[in-house]
Amino acid sequence: MSLLLQGLALGVLTGGLYALLSSGLSLYFGVMRVVMVAHPAFLFLAAYLTYTVHTVFGADPFLALPVTVPLFFLLGVAVQRLLVARLAPENVPMMSVLLTFGLALTIEGLLGTFYTGSYKSVSMEYATRSLTVAGVHLPYDKIIAFAVAALTLGVLFAVLVKSRFGQALRATIQHREAARLVGVPTERVAGYGFGVGLATAAVGGTVLALITPFFPASHWVWIGKLMAIIVVGGLGSVAGAALAAVLLGVVEGVVLVTVDATWATMMFYVFLFLTLLARPQGFFGGRLAHRF
Amino acid sequence: MRTASRGLPLLAAALAIAYPWLVPNYYLVYAGALTVMYAAMATSWNLLGGFTGYVSLGHSAFFGLGAYGTGLLVTRLDVPWALALPVSALLVTVFAVGVGVAAVRVRGASFVIVSIALVSMMNLVVQGWRSLTGGSTGLQVPSPFPDLHRGQTHMVFFHLFLVLLGLALLSWWYVSRSRFGAGLRAIREDEDKAESLGVPTAAYKVAAFALSALFVALAGGLYALWFGSLDPIFMFSILIGSYMVLMSLLGGVRHLYGPLLGALIVAPAGEYFLIALGETQVHLAATGVLLILVVLFMPEGILSRLTRRRPGPSIPEESAGQRLEGAAR
Amino acid sequence: MPRLFSRLVITSMCGLALTACAKTDGPGAAPSPGQQQGPVKIGISLPLTGDFSEPGKGIQEGYQVWADRVNAKGGLLGRKVELIFRDDASDPNRVSSDYESLITQDKVDLVFGPFSSRLVIPAAKVAESYGMVFVEPAGAAKEVFEQGFERLFYAAPAIADDHYDYLADHLIKLPEDQRPKTAAYASLDDPFAQGTAYGLRDRLAEAGIKTVVDEVYPPETTDFSPIAAKIAAAKPDLVVGGTQFEDSVGLVRALQELKVQPKLAAFSTGPTLAEFPDAVKGAAEHIVSPVGWSAASTFTGNEEMVGRYKEMFGGPANEDAANGYTVGQIIEAAVTAAGCADPSKECQDKLTEHIRQGTFDTVVGPLSFDDKGRPEQAHMIQQYVDGRIEIVLPEQAKTADFVYPKQAW
Repeated sequence: MSLLLQGLALGVLTGGLYALLSSGLSLYFGVMRVVMVAHPAFLFLAAYLTYTVHTVFGADPFLALPVTVPLFFLLGVAVQRLLVARLAPENVPMMSVLLTFGLALTIEGLLGTFYTGSYKSVSMEYATRSLTVAGVHLPYDKIIAFAVAALTLGVLFAVLVKSRFGQALRATIQHREAARLVGVPTERVAGYGFGVGLATAAVGGTVLALITPFFPASHWVWIGKLMAIIVVGGLGSVAGAALAAVLLGVVEGVVLVTVDATWATMMFYVFLFLTLLARPQGFFGGRLAHRF
Repeated sequence: MRTASRGLPLLAAALAIAYPWLVPNYYLVYAGALTVMYAAMATSWNLLGGFTGYVSLGHSAFFGLGAYGTGLLVTRLDVPWALALPVSALLVTVFAVGVGVAAVRVRGASFVIVSIALVSMMNLVVQGWRSLTGGSTGLQVPSPFPDLHRGQTHMVFFHLFLVLLGLALLSWWYVSRSRFGAGLRAIREDEDKAESLGVPTAAYKVAAFALSALFVALAGGLYALWFGSLDPIFMFSILIGSYMVLMSLLGGVRHLYGPLLGALIVAPAGEYFLIALGETQVHLAATGVLLILVVLFMPEGILSRLTRRRPGPSIPEESAGQRLEGAAR
Repeated sequence: MPRLFSRLVITSMCGLALTACAKTDGPGAAPSPGQQQGPVKIGISLPLTGDFSEPGKGIQEGYQVWADRVNAKGGLLGRKVELIFRDDASDPNRVSSDYESLITQDKVDLVFGPFSSRLVIPAAKVAESYGMVFVEPAGAAKEVFEQGFERLFYAAPAIADDHYDYLADHLIKLPEDQRPKTAAYASLDDPFAQGTAYGLRDRLAEAGIKTVVDEVYPPETTDFSPIAAKIAAAKPDLVVGGTQFEDSVGLVRALQELKVQPKLAAFSTGPTLAEFPDAVKGAAEHIVSPVGWSAASTFTGNEEMVGRYKEMFGGPANEDAANGYTVGQIIEAAVTAAGCADPSKECQDKLTEHIRQGTFDTVVGPLSFDDKGRPEQAHMIQQYVDGRIEIVLPEQAKTADFVYPKQAW
C-alpha cells in the first residue's frame, strides 16, 4: 500500500515535469499545425547550455535561464520564420515533421561534435535528498522540477489568458483566417508562438539537466512519450496536454511500482491508441485536432 | 519517343542485374544490395505516401516485424525459409490492417505521431518478450545458403532484393492506373470531398496502408535471412523509417521511379558521409541538413524539378481542386 | 507474364551467382608485393555516435594510445601502424557494412573489434566469413561465445557472467551473522549488463541469499525513482545494479532520495568511468564494481599506457581505453610471433593459432583463451574508499581493505 502511495506521489511529480516538457509541443501545433519532432532535441540543447554555464562559471543551473530563455525565444522565432513559414501551406502538417526531424538530427550531430558523445550531468547538493511525508519520500529534485514546471505553466497560462499577445495567440490557434480578418498579424504571432514554445524548452532543459544525465542521442527517448501526451490531451490544447501529462505520469508511476518498466512505457502508447479509437480529437481538443 | 521510354527502364534493369559482376569488390555488392533494399522499401512506402499523402515515419515497424516473423518461423518452427518469408509478410499485412483501422482515423500530424508510436511500441514488445524473441540478446537466423561464401550470398540477395523492387514498382504502376489509385489520389487532394463523392476513403486508406506494409515486411524478411542477426532496437528504429521518407521525397513522391532515384542518392551519400566524416558526429548533422534542404527547396522531388515532361508514370502534379484550396488560404 | 519473366530472371541469376564468382579481391588472395612494404592497416568500426558512443570513445583512445606507442618504437615488423576508424552510429547494419568495406575495399591487414555485445556479433560474422582474426574489447555477454565463431577472442579477463565471482566468493564465505540475507537486483535490458547482475544473483541465490527484487528496465528508462521505491519497500541488505553509466547514476540518486541504505551496493560499468563520482556527488563512497583493469596495477606496459594516455588525452585512463589497448597488445604479440601482418588466409590462420595457444602479458594481466575465445581469468572488484578507486578483491591484488557494510549515502 505504501508502495502504491509512493508510486502515486512520484507519478504526480513526474507528471508535472512532463507537462512542462510537452507544453511547447502544444503551442507549435496550435499556431502552425506543426508537430515539432525537434522539441526534445532542443530540450537537450538547453541542458547542454545549462551544463556549460554550470561548469564554466560554477553558477547554479537556474542562473542559466536568463541567458537561455531569451536565446531560445529568438531561436524559436527564427525557426518559424526561416524554416516552417517557407513550407507550402497545404503540406505543413506532414512536411514540418520531416523538417523538424532534420533539425533534430542536426542538433544531435552538432552537440556530439562540440560536447563529444560522453554523458554529462549537473548535480547539485539538493538533488539527492528528499522530503518525507507520512512515509512517502518526495525527492527534492523532483519537487523542484514540479515547482518550476507549475510556475512556468502558470506564467504561460497567465500570458495566454490575460495579455493582448495571448489573446492574439489564442485567436490564431482557434481560427487563423478569422484572426487575420479581425486584424491579428497571424504571421508574427505564429513566430512568437514558436518563440514561447522554445522558451519553455529552455526551462525544461535546465530541469532535465538537474534530474538526469544526458548525452547527444538522449532526445529520442522523449519523442514518443511527449507525442503520446499531446495526442491524449488533444492536439493544440496546452491545458489538455498538461492534464494528460499528469495522468500519464501517474499511470506510469503506478505501473512501474506494480508491474515493470516495459509496461510502464507501454502505457503511453496504449493510451495513445485508446484515445484514437475512443476519441480521436483527444480529451480536450476540439474540432481542430480531428481535422489535422 | 516510345521506344526510348520503353527501352530506358529495360536497359537500366539489365545494368542493375549485371551490377554485381561489374564492381571490383564484395563491399560494393553488399552496399548495392542495401541500396536496392532501401529502394524497394521506399517504393512500397510510396504506395501509401505518394498516393494518399499520408506520411508514415513508422514503416520500420513492418520491416522489423517482417524480419522477426521470418526469423522466428525459421528458428522456432523450422519452416523452410522460402515459405517463412511470404507467411510472415502476410501476417504482418493482417496486422497492418488492424493498425490501419485505428491509425487512419486521424489525419496529418496525428497520423505521423501514431506511426512513430507504432515503432516504439513494437520495439518494447519485441524487446520485452524475451522468451519468444530473445529480447535484447537478439535473434540469430541461420543462413539459407550455408554452402555459399559471404560474397556469393551478397550476390544472391542483391538479386532477390532486385526482384522485390521490381514487384513493388509493378504494384505502384498498376495501382496508379487503377480505379483504386484514382480513389487514393482523391484522398490526397481533398479527403472530405472524396468521401462525399462516394469514395470509400477509410477502406481505401487501410488497403493502401496494408499493401505498402506487405512489401516492407518482405524486405524485412529477406533482410533477416541475409543479415542473420536481429536486434530489436535496431530493427525498430525511427531512422530506418525516416530514410524511406527522405528517399521518396528527394526523388519525388508522385513518380514511379522517384523513391528509387532517392534511394540511389541517399544510400550512397550516407555511406560517403560516414566514411568522409566518420570520426566525428558531423555526419549526423550533414544528414539532417540534407533533409531540411530537401523539404524546404525540393518538396516535390528531383524528378518534378528535372522534367516538365515526366519520364515515367506519375501522379498529376496539381489538381484543380488543390489549386482552389491553395487560393482559398 | 511479367511475373514469369522475373521468375526466369531470378533463377538464372541465382544460378550465375553460384557459379560465377570471379572476384579475386577477397582475403586469401595473394597480397600485392607493394602491400608488404606499406603501413600495417588496421580496420576498426566503433560507435562514435548513438547509444554506445560513450564507451566507444574510450576504446578508440585505447587503440590510439597503443598505435602511438608501437609507432614510436618503429612499428609492427618494421612497418608503421595505421588505424582506420569508421563510425557505426551504434547500428549493426553499419557495423557490418564498415567491416565489409574495410576488409574488401580498403584491404586492411588486420581488424580490431567494435564495442558492445550487441554490435560484436554482427561484426564478428563479417570478420569470420572473411577469415580475419577478430580480437574484440567489449563483447562480454555469454551469447557472443555461443555463435560458433572460430577466430573471436575477448580481450579482457572474464566474460560478463563471471565478473562478480570474487565478490560472490567473499560474501558467501562471510560468517553467518555478517552475511547479507536479502538482495535486490535491477538490470538494464542488455545482454552484458544482465549477464553481470545475473551471474552474481545466481551464485548468491544458490548460497541462500534471498532475491527480494528482480527488475529489468528497458534502455529508454530515464526515471529510476519507482524502481528505487520497489527496492525501498523490500529493504534489502544488498543492492546490485546491472547497469551502464546513465542508469547507474539514476539508480544511485533515486536510492538516496528514497532512503534505501543497503549494506553493500554494486553496479557494473558506471562506477568505473571517470565521470561517475561527480555525477553522484558524495554517494560514490563504498560502491563496488567489477573491473578488469586498474590504473595502479603493475602489469606489463600499464604504467606506460597510463602515462601516454594522459599525454595524449589529458586525463586519467579508463577501463574502456585499457581494453582497447589490450587488444593491441595481443595482436602485437601474435604478429611478432607469426612474423606476418596481412589479410591472407595463411597469415590469419597463423595469428589465430598463436592467440589460441598462447598466454599474453597485457595491461589487464596475463590472458589466455578457451576454444570458444572466452578469456580464462577473473575480474577484480573495485570500491570507492575515501573517494579513491581501490582494488579490494581478490586478496592478492588488493590496494585497500574491502569495506562492508558501507557507510550511508
